[in-house]
Amino acid sequence: MMIGLKDGVKLVGISLVSACAVFVCTFFINFYIDVRGIEYAVTDELRALYDAQLATARLVCAIAGGFIGVIVAVMLVFYIKLYVDGNAKKIGILKAMGYSDGEIALRFWVFGLSVLIGCALGSAAGYAVMPTVYREMAIDGLPQAEIAFHASVLLSLTLAPAAVFTAFACGYAYFCVKRPITDLLRGITATTEVKNVDSGKDRSFALELCLKTLKSKKATVFFVAFSCFCFSAMVQMGFSMRDLDSAVMGAIILGIGLLLAAVSMLMAMAALVNANKKNVSVMKAFGYSLKECALYIFGGYMPFALLGFGIGTGYQYGLLKLMTELVFNDVGQMPNYVFDVGIFFATLAAFVLSYALVMLFYTRRMNKISVKEIMSET
Amino acid sequence: MISAYHIRKTYTSGATEVLKDISLDIADGEYVVILGASGSGKSTLLSVLSGLERPDSGEILYDGTDISKMTDKGLTAFRREKVGFVFQQYYLLSHLSVENNVKLGANLAGNKNFRDIVDAVGLGDKLKSKPSELSGGEQQRVCIARALAKSPRVLFLDEPTGALDEATGRNVLDYLIKLKRERGFTMIAVTHNKNIADTADKVIEMNSGKIVGISLNSQPKNAYDIGW
Repeated sequence: MMIGLKDGVKLVGISLVSACAVFVCTFFINFYIDVRGIEYAVTDELRALYDAQLATARLVCAIAGGFIGVIVAVMLVFYIKLYVDGNAKKIGILKAMGYSDGEIALRFWVFGLSVLIGCALGSAAGYAVMPTVYREMAIDGLPQAEIAFHASVLLSLTLAPAAVFTAFACGYAYFCVKRPITDLLRGITATTEVKNVDSGKDRSFALELCLKTLKSKKATVFFVAFSCFCFSAMVQMGFSMRDLDSAVMGAIILGIGLLLAAVSMLMAMAALVNANKKNVSVMKAFGYSLKECALYIFGGYMPFALLGFGIGTGYQYGLLKLMTELVFNDVGQMPNYVFDVGIFFATLAAFVLSYALVMLFYTRRMNKISVKEIMSET
Repeated sequence: MISAYHIRKTYTSGATEVLKDISLDIADGEYVVILGASGSGKSTLLSVLSGLERPDSGEILYDGTDISKMTDKGLTAFRREKVGFVFQQYYLLSHLSVENNVKLGANLAGNKNFRDIVDAVGLGDKLKSKPSELSGGEQQRVCIARALAKSPRVLFLDEPTGALDEATGRNVLDYLIKLKRERGFTMIAVTHNKNIADTADKVIEMNSGKIVGISLNSQPKNAYDIGW
């Protein structure tokens, strides 16, 4: 059968993003359960800080679990679409041979495997950092919460999400493969089918290619913006957390932010270059320079990258303000949070440099696309 | 005038020599067919003659300028200014309209009158259509318009009718010959179809990486008079 185990395993991006979510949820949920064991010792003057910690655990789990969960779903949709687009003819042949849509869709269970691997890795990492997190979150005047193993936490953060996302992958695959056989055999899928909406404007070829690339690759627009959002929000938040006297949490946020940003940016760019191989070959054959090819294909993403960065800045400011002024409002020793202009500009500089390096790397990758690829004998 | 001298080309780390000491001359405005079976090296010869890749040794002169020693940048500029391509599988940009696909070529030459060429290939009423809405023959004609919109000096065609049925193939070939006659560019096509060779001014036959024969047609046939 066409979808092998290695197709599921190679979705490293999904595994890493799932791992991030489960990593954070594992130690926070475990902490949330264990810290209630010392509630008997909480005095009136420590109550506010104790409650704030519980609220933080709930908030972070909701954000990490919910938000990153949605991202994993979007990534699965993206990869399944790519897979079906790339294998439309093979799927068409299978259907012509008599396989049903359901039978083919069920083979996509292997895409859920990447979630299971990610969840297992995230859980393991979560348990590994648990002693440090417990120490970091211990409140002076209260006994430190004892780490206990909760099987329900492990199961609900590994097997449950894997099962849900596997079902989701099969369901979405069913939607994708449910096309007329003749369309699939001609390589036409729900995503490759182009609606002919004429803009009516007489634009240059370069601008038209730029705009149509964006329009036909909406998922890559999302992932580029999301990557820049993660970079901006979590790098700034990570450094601001240090100022708020939480270096370990700051380092964890910084690490997760950079990982999410890298995974989504590399995934989007790799897909973009792959999808445009033939187009780049034709353009190069016609005499377009590498710089022109890169500009027309990558250029349209810049505004979305900046938009992602801007939203990320606003998001981290809003979240930290919310945490310090609402959740930790009654906690006396909590320093006041103010927007750090220095951190903002340092992050912006790092962002511009990183974005330029990624573009340069993928422009080089584009340079490796042979113009001979489009000749009949190759 | 295009002249190639002692062209050699090897793939897969020296194991297969696909072009073995090829030398030829092609005059300006000539229509040349390079004929050969699959694996004869004809497409590789087209690639090196058009500057898509360099030969391992030998010279390819365009009016005395050797393109085989050019840098990547130089070859890009050469292709931009001198040549156009028509591919067997068309390779139109699927998400762009006919108009924008033709602009891909026209913009390189600053050609504002590209609509004339679209009219000339009989697709004036399909400017806003997407490639997926066109038949194979129509797509190939868009490919021809795209190549001609940059006003190339030499038009290279890689099995231009290879993906078309007989009627459509004849129709496309007829368009090409007419346009060549009207505009005066040099046309070099590779094909395995011996009948198409009857329409050319000159036929270069290849086998196992070598030229095995060069013949001239004193009276080339038109596309509807040949067998298929």
